Amino acid sequence: MQVAKPTGPGLLKRPYNWIQEDSLAGMARRKALMGYIFLVPTMFGLMVFTVGPVFVSFALSLFSWNVIDPPEFIGVENYSRLLKDEVVITSFSNTAIFVFLTVSLQMTLALLLALAIQQKIARWLRYTYRTAFFIPLLTSSAAIAIVMAYMFNKDFGPINYYLGMVGIPRVSWLSSSQVVLITIVLTYVWQHLGFTLIVFTGGLGNMSKDVQEAADVDGASGLRRLWHITLPMLSPTILFAAVVGVISALQIFDQPYVLTRGGPGDSSRTVVMVIFEAAFKNLQIGYGSAIAVILFLVILLVTAFQFWLSKRWVFYQ
Amino acid sequence: MDTNNNSKGYSRRNFLRIAGAGATLATLGACGDAATATPTAKVAATTASSGATGQTTTAASTVISAPAVIKSEGETLKIALYGSRESAATRAAIVDPFVKKFPGAKVEYIPIQAIDWSDFFTKVLAMKAAGNTPDLTIVATEGTQIFAGKGLAVPLDDYVKRDKAELASYFKDVHPSLVEAMMYEGSLYELPSEFNAANMFINTKVLGEAGFSDISSDWTRDQFYEIAKKVTKKDASGQPQVFGYQWINRLWGGWLPWMFVNGGNLMTEERAPGGQWLWETFYKDDPAAKNRGGGWRWLQPKANDPANLEALNFVHQLTKEGIAPVPELGGGDTLQGFFASNKVAMTIAGGFWAGGLKNAGMANTAFDVRMFPKWKSQRHQFGAVGYVLMKDAKNKDLAWEFLKHAVTIESAQIYLKGNISTPARRSLLNAERYSVTGPKNWQVFYDTMEKNPDTAPIPAPAEANQMTTIFTKYTGLAMASEMPTKAALDAMQKDLEAVFAKK
Amino acid sequence: MKSQNVLELPARPFSRVVQRVQYRFWFWLGMLLVTIMAIITVAPVIWALSTSLRTPGQSFTLPPKWLPLDPDFKNYADVFVKIPLATYLMNSAVITVSIVLGQLVTASLAGYAFGRLKFPGRNMIFSLIMATMMIPLQATIIPVFVLISRLNLADTHASLIIPAWATAFGTFLMRQYFMQIPNEFEEAAVIDGATNVQVFSKIYLPLAAPGLAILAVLSFNTHWNEFFRPLIFLTTNDNFTLPLGLVTLFGYLGTGSVSVVMAGVILSLIPVLLVYIVGQRYLIEGIAMGGVKG
Repeated sequence: MQVAKPTGPGLLKRPYNWIQEDSLAGMARRKALMGYIFLVPTMFGLMVFTVGPVFVSFALSLFSWNVIDPPEFIGVENYSRLLKDEVVITSFSNTAIFVFLTVSLQMTLALLLALAIQQKIARWLRYTYRTAFFIPLLTSSAAIAIVMAYMFNKDFGPINYYLGMVGIPRVSWLSSSQVVLITIVLTYVWQHLGFTLIVFTGGLGNMSKDVQEAADVDGASGLRRLWHITLPMLSPTILFAAVVGVISALQIFDQPYVLTRGGPGDSSRTVVMVIFEAAFKNLQIGYGSAIAVILFLVILLVTAFQFWLSKRWVFYQ
Repeated sequence: MDTNNNSKGYSRRNFLRIAGAGATLATLGACGDAATATPTAKVAATTASSGATGQTTTAASTVISAPAVIKSEGETLKIALYGSRESAATRAAIVDPFVKKFPGAKVEYIPIQAIDWSDFFTKVLAMKAAGNTPDLTIVATEGTQIFAGKGLAVPLDDYVKRDKAELASYFKDVHPSLVEAMMYEGSLYELPSEFNAANMFINTKVLGEAGFSDISSDWTRDQFYEIAKKVTKKDASGQPQVFGYQWINRLWGGWLPWMFVNGGNLMTEERAPGGQWLWETFYKDDPAAKNRGGGWRWLQPKANDPANLEALNFVHQLTKEGIAPVPELGGGDTLQGFFASNKVAMTIAGGFWAGGLKNAGMANTAFDVRMFPKWKSQRHQFGAVGYVLMKDAKNKDLAWEFLKHAVTIESAQIYLKGNISTPARRSLLNAERYSVTGPKNWQVFYDTMEKNPDTAPIPAPAEANQMTTIFTKYTGLAMASEMPTKAALDAMQKDLEAVFAKK
Repeated sequence: MKSQNVLELPARPFSRVVQRVQYRFWFWLGMLLVTIMAIITVAPVIWALSTSLRTPGQSFTLPPKWLPLDPDFKNYADVFVKIPLATYLMNSAVITVSIVLGQLVTASLAGYAFGRLKFPGRNMIFSLIMATMMIPLQATIIPVFVLISRLNLADTHASLIIPAWATAFGTFLMRQYFMQIPNEFEEAAVIDGATNVQVFSKIYLPLAAPGLAILAVLSFNTHWNEFFRPLIFLTTNDNFTLPLGLVTLFGYLGTGSVSVVMAGVILSLIPVLLVYIVGQRYLIEGIAMGGVKG
């Protein structure tokens, strides 16, 4: 454990004022000032390159603009239109189902895999496993589209081929409304599992060995240990993975766009796809922005809910 | 010199003024760059000589004069293109001769990766929305009316009229159907450089093994059906081994060709008036140019037309009987792989597939091409490609020079090497071109135009993006048997009507 | 303290044998799961790899050919012929590394502020930052690009680097890491007379090393594969990043060989894979070095 050496009397000898006061209050003030200073780079960057554009987007949602002609102010017309737009409503329900399935599958699998990998196994083996799960995250979506279109092909694809060997009839992965969302979930989880896994292994690695060993010595059974020790200790990490998982899943775009383009019908059309199509394909920038604003509000609510939920059980040491 | 390169608005008046200013400056010799002046002088000379040899100038009521100097020094042309038709080496090969003619000019290609043309336009429009518009954009039929109708591109009429002598040999070499597809409301927006008609590609190995080694281009839908049915193979467990036919759910080359041969179409078709100046100037003696107009108008949807229903029922039947798989949406990479690995006997494709199958590792004797089978007629569909001159282009004169440069035989030889598309100039289709890639029956590509003068472009109004989304959506539902064919077409019609009623 | 309760869980009287059998059972079940999942996860990538070593005609077959017996490296040669891979690689490296370094700085500062310092408005500002994470890129790309153009940064690497420095995700990640570190360290250091800045740089930052490693690896990966922003922001071929350059291989109307595409993908995967492997080791060492105690 490293601890810095005392740095001499310089700080204390200066004239007292509110910020340098050698008291608890002065210390709190110094810390608060430090907090603001530390936030400057991040706040500046986000204000200029994200929050500002968000307000521009919000403003755009009140206009009708096709990129080519000058924008025309139409008030909340875009919003009243989207409430009646069946494609938009379908895309929100698709996305909700998608997020629920994806996040629960991804978190469960990643947690189980992280626990398994953290067992007492050779280091190189642990590295190899982790690398294996991380590889899909490194590949480009365009390439994944080609590979997955082949893997999931109904007639000549390897997945149906191996399912067929165990007697399961061929599944229309890409061309059936009932199945296609599952296909997108599987592709997405396949690609992003490594992310959640690395977060969980990080969290588990950070966890106290003492607690684990104590539990071992006490002979707590696997499941009991998981439930009473590991999960509570891991809860900040789980919250993190859940929040990030939900947010990125809500923004799903690449996988359905390149694999099914939202079809068949609208059964795999997601919210960001609809935003993209409205704004760029149909040149309705205002309408697209309005849908984006709604998505933004939904994500805000969901995240607020997750944090509220977290207060009830996340355990910080 | 500044006045020369800032012709922002492209109007005749502007043009004349700029040309005048350019001429004045040129005589002053202030910025006298001899090399820059030369090519323009040459253009002026050829225009003059054409007048002398008595070329027809009838309909051309207004002829703009060429600017004396086209500024090229320090100028950059940005060209958005679909995917990348040229490797770095071949791209440089078409740019270099151009830069020789226009010293100091820089030409930058912006390759844009896209699934299909609609996706490509989306990205070009995103660039436009972000204020980063290219000077020239490669645009296919699918987007011609988006770019023309929304005022993103400017008509080429004045330029074409001005340089008609130079262009005469080009138009003589290009079928009028292709030119007409590039027109919008009487004006020409692109010089077609390539096209792809929806022909039938056949896997000769699969068909030969099943005893069909002599399919003629003069075949019917019924014969097609028989062949497709007979070559389809399944193993004992029902696992398909070979499909007789496969297609992709998209606008070009989806099931639209079946509509065409059955006398249907997704949209009503009519010809816009105008364009006579072009036909009279360049196609006076060509019988194929009779009754042409000023471009196509696709005004009303007619998705649930009985001929369309019949066509959809036919392709649906193929899938139901296991002759064809349920079509996928998308780019066709797997189709290319399946065809090349002898899992598919026949599919719709155009000249671009000659190069594509070669790249997929298929021997040039293992496949061939036939015309699309006859039903009520043998009317094919095609899509053509050219460059549009963007309204935001800063140096339009230079951009136009590049546009002409791109359709010369020399340039086409370079960038159509490897047969990744069909040349629009018929003189470029010859045995030598197809000796490496195949197919044996390469004549079919241009015969499609010559022998079926009613062959027409795919319907592509300015709303083509929305139209395509609706079209593929209900096609997908019908083909997956999640909606009866009739109901799917009715719903398609209803959605299309909503889009087109907004106008 | 809650952790004390955990330690005081009533011990159950298991016999050693039962305990060992049970341990073995969980161990092998875990290993079985992880092995099956790893195979499933890697299979498509293996297929891509072996396809890059032959033609599509030989690849789209049943039963699937997973292993590249009789490999042919021609597709890899084609990648180098068709695109200036070295230029793209260099551009991607410069851009990605600049972004990652910038993010490590901004995120550790902001994460520390949120995780360890108290100041008025902290929670509100944090919620605001979290909220920015939720806007899809597709919705803000136009205003951002207009801004980039106004700043005369269009078609520069800086246009990709500078806007990416501030990271809501990274801030959140680092906050979580700083929060997990127990108070005792700080208390000890303060007693020894360390200043606030020293507490941050000498105590907390090293302890948060695993978080930094994770951020670096994830951020490297995200920006290495980034496609949409470079597509809109960059126009000059010489400035292109690798993913932008790779699309060239798809060819016109998809006429390029799928195998050459796969070869390009595999080539572009190597640098990220190396970063991951190195980063992973650092991550493990970081955990050991930090000496975090419960």
